[in-house]
Amino acid sequence: MIEFRPGNLRVPNWTRPVYMVAAGTSDYRKRYPEKKLEELCMMAFRMLLEENNLKLDPLEVKGLINFASYGQFADHFQDQLLCEAKVHDYLGLDMLPNVGVKTGGATGGSTMLVAAQAIASGYADCALALGWERMDEVKTWTGNYYIATAACKDFETRLARNYASYYAPMAKRFQEMYDVDERVRAEIAVKNRGYACSSPFAQQAGKHTVDEVLEGNIVSDPLRFLECCAMSVGSAAALLCSEELAFKLTDKPVRYYGAGGTHTLRTGDRRPMRILLLPNETEKGYKKLYADMEKQDGRWPGFESFGATRFAAYMVYHMAGIENPIEDLDLVETHDAFTISDLQTYGDVGLTLYGEEQNYVKSGDCYLVNPHTGKPGKCPANLSGGLLGTMHAVGATGIWQCDEVFWQLQGKYDQFHGDPKLWERYGKTKPKDWQSLQIKNPKRGLAISHAGVGSHVVCSVLEKA
Amino acid sequence: MSDRVKLNTQPSEITRDGDVWILHFPRLGKEGNHFHTYGQLTPYFKGLTEGKLMATKCVNRGCPISKGKGELWLPPRADCPDCHQPMVWEEVKNLEGYIYAFTYVERGGTGLEIECPYYQVDVKLPGVCTIAKSYLVDRRPIKIGDKVRVKFRKGSEATNTSLDMYFELI
Repeated sequence: MIEFRPGNLRVPNWTRPVYMVAAGTSDYRKRYPEKKLEELCMMAFRMLLEENNLKLDPLEVKGLINFASYGQFADHFQDQLLCEAKVHDYLGLDMLPNVGVKTGGATGGSTMLVAAQAIASGYADCALALGWERMDEVKTWTGNYYIATAACKDFETRLARNYASYYAPMAKRFQEMYDVDERVRAEIAVKNRGYACSSPFAQQAGKHTVDEVLEGNIVSDPLRFLECCAMSVGSAAALLCSEELAFKLTDKPVRYYGAGGTHTLRTGDRRPMRILLLPNETEKGYKKLYADMEKQDGRWPGFESFGATRFAAYMVYHMAGIENPIEDLDLVETHDAFTISDLQTYGDVGLTLYGEEQNYVKSGDCYLVNPHTGKPGKCPANLSGGLLGTMHAVGATGIWQCDEVFWQLQGKYDQFHGDPKLWERYGKTKPKDWQSLQIKNPKRGLAISHAGVGSHVVCSVLEKA
Repeated sequence: MSDRVKLNTQPSEITRDGDVWILHFPRLGKEGNHFHTYGQLTPYFKGLTEGKLMATKCVNRGCPISKGKGELWLPPRADCPDCHQPMVWEEVKNLEGYIYAFTYVERGGTGLEIECPYYQVDVKLPGVCTIAKSYLVDRRPIKIGDKVRVKFRKGSEATNTSLDMYFELI
């Protein structure tokens, strides 16, 4: 589609509000032979029921569930169709209805959205969203190929069999169009992997330097090793409820809004459009950008931006009444599968204007503490450690992002990241220099669940009730 | 390392069903072949093996976007996404374009049929509304804007896949 028609921009109008009351996750590892997939899902489910300070006994809470939505990206990895049925049975939820959701890398976000729609419509009062991925049954190179089969089989997959090579041209083009300094991309890898050092769930936490990132081996030029997320094994869960039930279960419910968008996965087929404007933007504000695009044969969204992210953000901002994202949002979780996807996204979700993405990162507002001013960053990004530092167990990712935002809004970052027993549960020792990444009294957060080259995106806004 | 990129693949087998090519894709060895149809896009794949670049365009005057004068689509589509009417085939005569985006692939995935490292390129061709993704046969340093020409793996060289189109620096 290159022109929106009247029906296309209708904002979702849910018939009743949706709340999130509990979150759960396993830890994440490159290989996890100690547990079967269903056992990892049980870890997330038990945390959700038992550790969120709910006002009812865990089995009483379980007895309130009427619907389950499950996310798994790829059947290939486990060579198991309908894994949802195995997990559902293992969690002891038969004979409740469940659906499996698949939207590539955005599967987790879509799983949240499907559960939320069940609440919003009245189909359910209490819905479980649970997702997972087990990517360790095959070698990394075969995993690369499986993931790359999400690209077009006829015209793209045969060209690399590695997904990094579909983001890398976007990085090249973005860099050319906006004269991006490679150090900005590297800084994102350093930041997110650094935040992962505070997370007991994290798979590849590390204290790195910009130079170390840039000196690393290239996967697909210009993306270096430390700029790419790894394959993960693990599971995440969220519990969504009606308003009445939410307040019965917790004193700290969080309002949930979600919306999706899509764009063809063949980046080259993305024909030029006018920019879909967010509430804080004007056509006039993009006059220079349009002129620059004309000079450099640029196009919107083209290779530089994710139209699906912009579409989903447009919808969810209208649903949640967000007028100026940088003022109205207190934290964000981006889909930093690659440093470039994090960088590009700041324009798409309106935390800055298109074309200003690298300046936004350089400003320090995406940090918990702005490294230039020592003051709180305006909208810290990926305090969870993100996909680069913590996990990308694909079907779980979008749910886990919401979990991390949810705990931040409840003021429970320390409870779920700083308890030494939690570190021990995963066979780790809490670092002596552990730092709390709890934001002071956050009100609203955004989680962006995103599939390959932005082909499918769900934006979720969570808001302290 | 040679300065020309080589493929490490064998021609894919094809079954012919009338005008349609059905590609044999050995996912689990020969017994596990997938039989993947090229359907109405067969003229594109067949064209490559004959040294012709075939594209489609919308000629429906009622189409809200093309208004009957559509630009070419590469990859082609049998049906127009804007008006849903069948598109028509046209051979792309101007085979010279420029590199719009690219990456140097140093690591691929299992079964990759192109010898690493190599450039994967996105090329803007005149009169084409999309940007075609392919690979470059040359290994020397390149930049966005460099001029390239479409080349083909024809006859006995053909793989019967999208690998039969590639680019060469001009």
